[in-house]
Amino acid sequence: MNMEFVVYLFINTATVLLAAPLFVSLIKKIKAKTQGRQGPPVFQTYYQIAKLLRKEVVCSSHASWITRAAPLVNMAAILVAALFVPLVFVPEPVGGIGNIIVFLYLLSLARFFMALAGLDAGSSFGGMGSSREMSISAIIEPTTIIVFAAMAFVFKSMDIFAMFTGATVTGGTPATPVLILIGISLFIILVVETSRIPVDNPETHLELTMIHEGMLLEQSGKNLALMEYSSAIKLTLMMALLINIVIPAGLALTLTAAGIAVAAVLFIIKGSVLAVIIGLFESSMAKKRFFQLPSLFAMAFFFSTLIIIIEVFV
Amino acid sequence: MILLLFIGAAALLISGFLLPLILGKRDSRAIRSVSLVAGMAASLLLIVLAVPILLGGSPAAFLVHVPGGLFSLGISIDRLAAFFLLLIAIVTICVALYAAEYFEHLEGGSRRNLLCGCTNLFILSMVLVVAAADTFTFFLAWELMAATSFFLVMYEYEQAATSRAGIFYFVMTNLSTLFVLLGIILLFLQTGSFVIGSIPGPSTVLTTLSFLSLFVGFAIKSGIIPFHKWLPYAHPASPSPISALMSGVMLKVAVYGLVRFTLDVFSPDLLFGLLILAFGTVSAVLGVIYALKEHDLKAMLAYSSIENIGIIFMGIGLYGILSACGLPLIASVALLAALFHSFNHALFKSLLFLTSGSVIHATHTRDIEQMGGIIHRMPKTAVFFFIGALAIAALPPLNGFASELLLFMAFFSSITVVTPLVKVLLFLCLALFALTSALSAACFVKAFGSVFLGLPRSVKAGDAQEVPFLMLAGPAFLSAGCVILGLLALQLITLAGFTVPMPDLLFVGILLAVMLVLIYAALLLISPRGFRIGETWGCGTLSQAASTEYTGHGFSEPLDIIFSPLYRTKIRNERRFFDDHGVIFQSGHAEIRLMKVFEEYLYLPAASCFIRITATVSRFQNGCLDTSLLAAFVTILVLILFLGWSV
Repeated sequence: MNMEFVVYLFINTATVLLAAPLFVSLIKKIKAKTQGRQGPPVFQTYYQIAKLLRKEVVCSSHASWITRAAPLVNMAAILVAALFVPLVFVPEPVGGIGNIIVFLYLLSLARFFMALAGLDAGSSFGGMGSSREMSISAIIEPTTIIVFAAMAFVFKSMDIFAMFTGATVTGGTPATPVLILIGISLFIILVVETSRIPVDNPETHLELTMIHEGMLLEQSGKNLALMEYSSAIKLTLMMALLINIVIPAGLALTLTAAGIAVAAVLFIIKGSVLAVIIGLFESSMAKKRFFQLPSLFAMAFFFSTLIIIIEVFV
Repeated sequence: MILLLFIGAAALLISGFLLPLILGKRDSRAIRSVSLVAGMAASLLLIVLAVPILLGGSPAAFLVHVPGGLFSLGISIDRLAAFFLLLIAIVTICVALYAAEYFEHLEGGSRRNLLCGCTNLFILSMVLVVAAADTFTFFLAWELMAATSFFLVMYEYEQAATSRAGIFYFVMTNLSTLFVLLGIILLFLQTGSFVIGSIPGPSTVLTTLSFLSLFVGFAIKSGIIPFHKWLPYAHPASPSPISALMSGVMLKVAVYGLVRFTLDVFSPDLLFGLLILAFGTVSAVLGVIYALKEHDLKAMLAYSSIENIGIIFMGIGLYGILSACGLPLIASVALLAALFHSFNHALFKSLLFLTSGSVIHATHTRDIEQMGGIIHRMPKTAVFFFIGALAIAALPPLNGFASELLLFMAFFSSITVVTPLVKVLLFLCLALFALTSALSAACFVKAFGSVFLGLPRSVKAGDAQEVPFLMLAGPAFLSAGCVILGLLALQLITLAGFTVPMPDLLFVGILLAVMLVLIYAALLLISPRGFRIGETWGCGTLSQAASTEYTGHGFSEPLDIIFSPLYRTKIRNERRFFDDHGVIFQSGHAEIRLMKVFEEYLYLPAASCFIRITATVSRFQNGCLDTSLLAAFVTILVLILFLGWSV
């Protein structure tokens, strides 16, 4: 392992930890504005996590070590997954870090623990959340893998690092039509993976809508902080995947302080724009009924498959 | 040296079989322990034998060869055989450790001696199938394997379900033997010998026919859909260690058969590859979808075996397609994935069968709706089952993920190179493969959640006790195997002499561990260590009852509804009214029934067809001497005519 990669590990983790809560509050702010509300301050999510970290943990008497381990494993898996998606600086990959399948399955690992934690306390809400989360994540999986395969096909590599480098080399902006189509598919995957409208409503704790929130109902204190933080990081990762494939301009390929600073500023700007788009997208839609989702996913699947077939035959 | 080790192992297994048979009347634990220890010792010898061949890559050794005219008996062990011998040996050791305790808790008195003996014979038969040098020996061992496994399934023969499962298994396993025999005879017609070697000359209709019959034979034995129906019957019926051996090892022996004949006998053919891939994909997807619906813990594991065998077949099929397209490099990655997944599945599936055997032993039920909260009562078993669930759900950095990653890589790199039509097909299979592995994660969240988490849903589940030491030792070794094979996947593959551009899972594992430690340390520093026990929130109700929990049925309900076309539920709704307008309700009948599609549309029609044929034939067998004489006369006449014709 070379020095450059070690530096990358620190820079990437620090960037994602610092930027993640910002995008979450930004989306909330935009949604509030479109509803004619003032909305929380832009730094609200930071305050919230800081406050939760100072609170004591309340565990159910029926809960086992799963409930206590889940937030830790969840956060660790997401943070390792974060190393697979370079936000500001792309080094030479080491030891297969950056493999897109490993990235996908690290997210799965986090989800597996979260779903079990939902079942652990014996609450019916937790079970509801776990059941729906696992169902939705299963039926979006074919689409995700097809899109990833398309990306691997376009960039001739299974490595996210190489994909980003490839995207920068081919000129970045304006992206080719295929990249834009892949971007749209990635956007759908982002919405599903991070439990947003029309799949799930991250704002409410109502039984009818909750998927992701249902699983967290029994979590409290620092454990809840970890869960919320990790879901914010996951959102940032999916956004970074989309941003750095479609508009990779400014992504640093060599390790220089100036380059990384510029890339970081650019990433925050691009991320904020994408957060605004997500906020507007969420506001313009109603949550779909749960059993209407498969048809939505089927549409996304056909769309992505069509892109690939176009790519294959043209 | 190799010969001595092999003969030693075989002798130990045979003595492990004969000892309880000779002392069959005495019901003593010592006899059974000695018998099982003989099996373990034989397995140790096999490991010592297999590892050098596997690593050193020394060429195939003809160990024994007893010629006898046209037929001959031969034993030879090359790398492929050594790989499967290693698989058999490792699983056998762990299962035997577990069985030494588990068999003592079974009913049946001195009959348990026979169970131990038969287990040894079963293991010997599998060893012989893998080590067979020619098709004749292969067939003999195959038949021995079919017979012994049938006896093992029939152990609890008093129960109605067992005898039904036994008959089902008997018919299916004999069909498998029949097809394998047919394939071997067809091969003999082409090559003129029983040697396992490539067919000379271009491929003909006969080649295709022999491939098809061998494929069907192996597919039945390994539980490929639509020949799978014996698995979910036979596994719940047999004792748990036997299920573990059958699912973990015997299915792999069938996989070995397919790999052996595909590699050594048939030249690469696109159609063969596509056939294997198609059957594999269908089995993988349908297997996991049926597993989700199942609430009998062992039947669920059986369906999940079907899924995993499907994944293995996908790897073999992909190998066939790619090598027919002239891409040996990626093809070898696909084959490696299939073989590695066979090994991994053997480990985690026998782990899951053993731990669920412990749970069933403690709760006296196989219904997961009657369990719950067992993690508090059987914490060690829960940890082992959990590791198995993580592995089978293909989560990094465990071994299930390592092999599925290899298969994903084979798929990803193949789509860039093959012809467009095949490419589209591979995309479809890739998407279904991803669906399979995500659904199996959902399935095992459900299994672990309903069995181990929450509140106990029955009195027996509440009274469950942790199992004794030996019943923990076997699973402990298997779970260690799952972790090691996952973390060291790249290193082991490199050690075996393959270069695969695979991510280093050890590195990922270390990163995960470092992150865990860092997060834990950070939390210790910045947040209070306060920790309070409270009630589960239940909308204001003070105490939580097991009846308000989410059930296993409830958990899989969304997926049930989404995949309802595949389950073919039949909803019948009949109402009768007093008046003609249908207003005053008299009586009604409503039922929702899950259709057993394959059983109702494939098995039963086939069975009734056979019954009709046999009924016709049995009319000739009326006990009258004249009819028998006539039959003998006609047979001899036909034989004379036929033989005279061909000469």
